[in-house]
Amino acid sequence: MNEELVVIVRAIISFFTLLILARLLGKEQISQLSFFDYVLGITIGSIASEATVDLSSRAWTSWIGLIVWAALAYLMQVITLKWRYAAKMIEGEPTIVIMNGKIMDKVLRKMKFRVADVLELLRNQGVFDLNEVDYAILESNGSLSVLKKSENLPLTPKDMKLEVKQTGISTELIYDGIIIEENLRQMNKDRKWLMNQLKKYGIKDASEALLVTLNDAGSLYVDKYDDNIKKVKDIGDYKGPF
Amino acid sequence: MRKFLVIAIPTATLIVFVLVMHSARFLKKPLGQDDDIPGRLDSMIEFVNNELWDEANNDFKELSRAWDKVLARVQFGSGKEEIYQLDTSIARLEGAVVAKDKAGALMELYEVYNHWEELGN
Repeated sequence: MNEELVVIVRAIISFFTLLILARLLGKEQISQLSFFDYVLGITIGSIASEATVDLSSRAWTSWIGLIVWAALAYLMQVITLKWRYAAKMIEGEPTIVIMNGKIMDKVLRKMKFRVADVLELLRNQGVFDLNEVDYAILESNGSLSVLKKSENLPLTPKDMKLEVKQTGISTELIYDGIIIEENLRQMNKDRKWLMNQLKKYGIKDASEALLVTLNDAGSLYVDKYDDNIKKVKDIGDYKGPF
Repeated sequence: MRKFLVIAIPTATLIVFVLVMHSARFLKKPLGQDDDIPGRLDSMIEFVNNELWDEANNDFKELSRAWDKVLARVQFGSGKEEIYQLDTSIARLEGAVVAKDKAGALMELYEVYNHWEELGN
């Protein structure tokens, strides 16, 4: 038995099976994963690795395990999508941990959460003073959503009764020195217009630009290869190998 | 067309994977004269029963060569454990044939046969 060859073939099978299953199971981000999703991911990954390197048993048995776990995960997704009651049971629900600025200590105890954990999550949200918090909700994926008291909310153009232009999203016109014609057409612009704009930034040829984007408000962002920055600021706090 | 390919390519890939993982079941079958393991086992059983040890010895060498050939084909669809068991039985069979031990040889022959039947199934 050529073990190396068998491992290579099994690795290819596991890799592409995982890829297909991951696509099938959707686009949930790591941050959106519930605890169960997290465990599910680890288990599926572990079965895939077993299928690859555990040559003592057939790849087929591990592969079936992989498919069944993924199928069950898919089934759970469908159930939670169509049946809210089940979704509440399976995925949990958001819980208010701070209400009207008061910490709900009984709720925290029930959820096995410490006040220190809440404070940490608040700091992650940029909140360092509990007095600023009106509501804090612990989401089912473990993240904390914070609603600050009205007086601590950031000022918006609406508060100031200012009219603002919609900026929309940026579209890449040049990427890595290459003009993206399709995006130019989409933004109703042409090469001539682009080159005229670039001249204002001292760019004579598209290849001199690393990235050029245009937003719906007509504002250009230009980044040249030659930034004229001699020394990049070092933000490291400890002298390392680099 | 694009939607068809999005479904067809992963489906075809999974089907190929299933076939590879089940390949031992099909590829263990003899493709020629020199890789016919069940045929060799049958003739060896006959030689051992009649205590024709020289013929049994020659047949064993052919069985061993046939197994080497088949092993290269079935390794992707079978587990190391079942291959190891078959390997061990063949090694014990050689010992029994060399020792001209009729009972031992027959025991090993039937064990090899059993492992062979189980291979890939």
